[in-house]
Amino acid sequence: MPGMRSGVNIDDPTVVAAFKAALLHQGLIALLIFALLGLAWVSVRAWAPFARNGAAEVAGTPAPVQAEPAGRQVLRVGFGLLWVFDGILQAQPKMAIGLPSQVLQPIAAASPRWVQHLVNWAGTSWSYHPMQAGASAVWIQAGIGIWMLVAARGAWSRLAGLASVGWGLVVWVFGESFGGIFAPGLTWLFGAPGAVLLYCVAGGLIALPERSWRTPRLGRLTLGGLGLFLIGMAVLQAWPGRGFWQGQLHGQPGTLAGMVQNMATTSQPHVLSAWVNAFGTFTAAHGFAVNLFAVAALTATGLAFLSGRPGLIRPALIFFTVLCLADWVLIEDFGFFGGLGTDPNSMIPFALLAAAGYLALTRVPVPEAEPAAARAPVSWRERVRPASLRQAVMTASFQSVASIGAVGIIVLGAAPMAAAQANPVADTILAQAINGSSAPLNIPAPAFSLTDQHGRTVTLASLRGKVVLLTFLDDTCTVDCPLIAQEFRAAGQMLGAQAWHVGLVAINYNPIYTQVSYIQAFDRQEGLATVPNWLFLTGTRAQLGQVWRAYGAAPAEILPAGSMIGHGDYAFVIDQKGHLRRELGFDTGPGTQATKSSFAAELTDAARQLLGRS
Amino acid sequence: MKPTARPALIALALAAAALTAGCGSAASSGPGPTGPVPPAGAPFLATSLVTPAGTWAIAVMGGSVSSHNNFWQLFARPAGSTIWKLVTPPGVADNGGLVAASARAGSLITGIRPSQYLTYTPLALTHDGGQAWSPTGPLDAALAATPDALAAAPGTGRLLALLTSGAVKAAAPGYTRWTTLTSQRSLAVTPAGRRCGLTGLTAVTVTPAGVPLLAGRCSRPGTAGIFAAANGTWQAAGPALPAGLDHQPATVLRLTRASHGVVALLETGSGPGASLLAAWSVGDGVRWALSPPIRLRGAKLASASFGPDGTAALVLTHGRADTITGAGAAWRSLPALPAGTATLAPGPAGGFDALAVHRTRLTVWQLGPGAAGWRATQAMNVPVQFGSSG
Repeated sequence: MPGMRSGVNIDDPTVVAAFKAALLHQGLIALLIFALLGLAWVSVRAWAPFARNGAAEVAGTPAPVQAEPAGRQVLRVGFGLLWVFDGILQAQPKMAIGLPSQVLQPIAAASPRWVQHLVNWAGTSWSYHPMQAGASAVWIQAGIGIWMLVAARGAWSRLAGLASVGWGLVVWVFGESFGGIFAPGLTWLFGAPGAVLLYCVAGGLIALPERSWRTPRLGRLTLGGLGLFLIGMAVLQAWPGRGFWQGQLHGQPGTLAGMVQNMATTSQPHVLSAWVNAFGTFTAAHGFAVNLFAVAALTATGLAFLSGRPGLIRPALIFFTVLCLADWVLIEDFGFFGGLGTDPNSMIPFALLAAAGYLALTRVPVPEAEPAAARAPVSWRERVRPASLRQAVMTASFQSVASIGAVGIIVLGAAPMAAAQANPVADTILAQAINGSSAPLNIPAPAFSLTDQHGRTVTLASLRGKVVLLTFLDDTCTVDCPLIAQEFRAAGQMLGAQAWHVGLVAINYNPIYTQVSYIQAFDRQEGLATVPNWLFLTGTRAQLGQVWRAYGAAPAEILPAGSMIGHGDYAFVIDQKGHLRRELGFDTGPGTQATKSSFAAELTDAARQLLGRS
Repeated sequence: MKPTARPALIALALAAAALTAGCGSAASSGPGPTGPVPPAGAPFLATSLVTPAGTWAIAVMGGSVSSHNNFWQLFARPAGSTIWKLVTPPGVADNGGLVAASARAGSLITGIRPSQYLTYTPLALTHDGGQAWSPTGPLDAALAATPDALAAAPGTGRLLALLTSGAVKAAAPGYTRWTTLTSQRSLAVTPAGRRCGLTGLTAVTVTPAGVPLLAGRCSRPGTAGIFAAANGTWQAAGPALPAGLDHQPATVLRLTRASHGVVALLETGSGPGASLLAAWSVGDGVRWALSPPIRLRGAKLASASFGPDGTAALVLTHGRADTITGAGAAWRSLPALPAGTATLAPGPAGGFDALAVHRTRLTVWQLGPGAAGWRATQAMNVPVQFGSSG
């Protein structure tokens, strides 16, 4: 999956520092949002006395106070906390660069090609704008979590549930490769059908009208659905030929033992790896028994949940919770240790869902008679009248204000991500991470007089009045130079109409293949033959050597035994008056799509800065 | 660029030291090298050829193809000398392979097959046995991965080039203005191409009389796909296959000029039942004499080379080598080849030189006329720049 790697080390200090700075910057904005909203709320309540007592008091009738259904509360608080925790995990310093290659790619690797293509597309988009994408994931998830926690009732709370469904689906598809449901080796024990799908289910339940929670039907349906799923998973676990019955296969660990032993190798506290390792060894030795237990446990729990009988479900729920916790510790290894964990995996969500289903079945709130005045229907026209709106603002509850703040945090994350995704050019930080940022210069650029691809003489003086982006290219190079040429070509395209004021100039860096016919062939190869402001200059070996020296470029080395010419990678920015203004490190490094685009953006920025000053 | 990095400089210094220490070092009659054969995945390009300036051999050395650490080398043994020298043309990474052809007045032209992001073929010419190279061309496309992808007309120096696309291009000396002579697709629809069922082109050459010849792979049994340019069209010119092989499709693996004509190597059948035949044509490339077939018996052809008199020498897998001197002669098995033998070349005093490679070390083994075994006569370390194309 070529787009998954930006080519930058995941712990590159430049990127890590920029990611931390972005998070800090956006975190301060988030705090500011809450502070301003809080201040406004307190001020309004201080200025408008009736607001202190709420809307119900204004209406003249005391508002009925009904407890939130217990099952709903478990889901809302539990999954709210999970979202916040996931947001915190997204803030790991290596996440910005590492998520595509260290998380998305390995998860997608076992899935069919079409899933890989889909995930690769998302990973590539992330790789182009790692700062924005990384920070966005933090704030969107933290925002949804805070929203779910603070909005206990009403429309705000239901909207929070829908937000959980929406973002959860995005994460499930692109981040979890559909929870691996299209990959072989699918098993409940390792998180099938994807933890975030459970976030979606929970969000969907929270989004239901509250009346749905006032009958045992919802609890019965939730547990029934869960029971059916568990029985399905038991069948899959028991299916012959999938390697779960064998502790060892041909001297190698069986499917389950292998998975567990792999988890034990990830970096984590020793005591945890010791537990997991011990369980892996036990599974390898008693694979049949372990799988038999898993199949029986899933089947029995599933049947109990399906029965709809609280007396049967209660012990099953206790057993299921213990099973989930054991699986979470011994098999899923807490889900977030090792590498770049993004969530605590599926067992806590499963336990929460089952508990919520049980509570919805057994603790149905007693309906209370509500005063007629409080339930009087209000048309939307009346709601949007200025007076009504003013009153709504004045009487806004803490829940509403905090929800607005949480939505603000989500927007804070989502807006830059959306803007970044609309930009097909990678961030310049990738290029800077590979080569460092350049110091500004202001010295006369060394003059040259060479021959261009059309056989005409070109001097630096003849380019006066234009910004010159200059590089050195070996016309028979097989690796870096074609990539650099593409970055120059892309920079020309990005400059658009401004390209007329910019000269894209390359000087031949090959002391042997100096003929015009070779630079013409190079231009055709790179699609540069028709670029009007492109000049590829050559000359005699002596002429070229003089220019290389004048620009401080390392002399080209003629290496033996079939090697290409040894040379450095440079790019210079020369202003309209012929002064050198910047020297860019221009080693393309791994030359990925993202870094190529990033280099071009860096060139474009440099040219635009000079054009803007003129 | 990695070659300028510190490790590369150290590697260069070490390699240079190794070259000066190892090049032309004393002959050894010790046991043969036991290293691996040339890197897996490399194309069928190892060969040798003889020109008035001397004998030339092409072999791949270094490391894996996938990590671009395979580097093709050109070695030359000047006429009258017994010592091989490394003469690989500098200035271009040659991980894609080298193809050489005898050009005018004893010179040699080399095409450096493109690799990685390079898509055109640099050409280099030497007039002094490979001591100095002059760039020429280039050929604005990728040269085919076959040892006979380049051929120069003996008198005019006009160059024919077979491309990976199946097109055949031609250019006069200078080699900057190329014209399309034909292509596999065009040739396949000619009467001669249809009779052959042409599915691919594998070789180009020019007869001593200056007639361009093309060779390829035929899907119709019993036909050897050799085509000669005549009166603006392409005529079938290949030999008829002998009874017993005429029910099998044939591929021309090699087609090149010898001092008095043209020599070809044909493969019939496939898999363990495949056979090879050498074919010689004196002068015109139309009338042919065929060798008896030699059965491969599961072995694979690694290299085929020809002496100026048309002697064919084959390097097969499992250390097997066979040779045949000409029409009417029989195939003769050579003693088991030294490990790592990339190609055979005519020896300085008759017999053969076997050029064996092990990563960066070349060992030349000699089999004198009538000798019973191979004798190491030279070893050299080639300063391969690992990582320079990565």
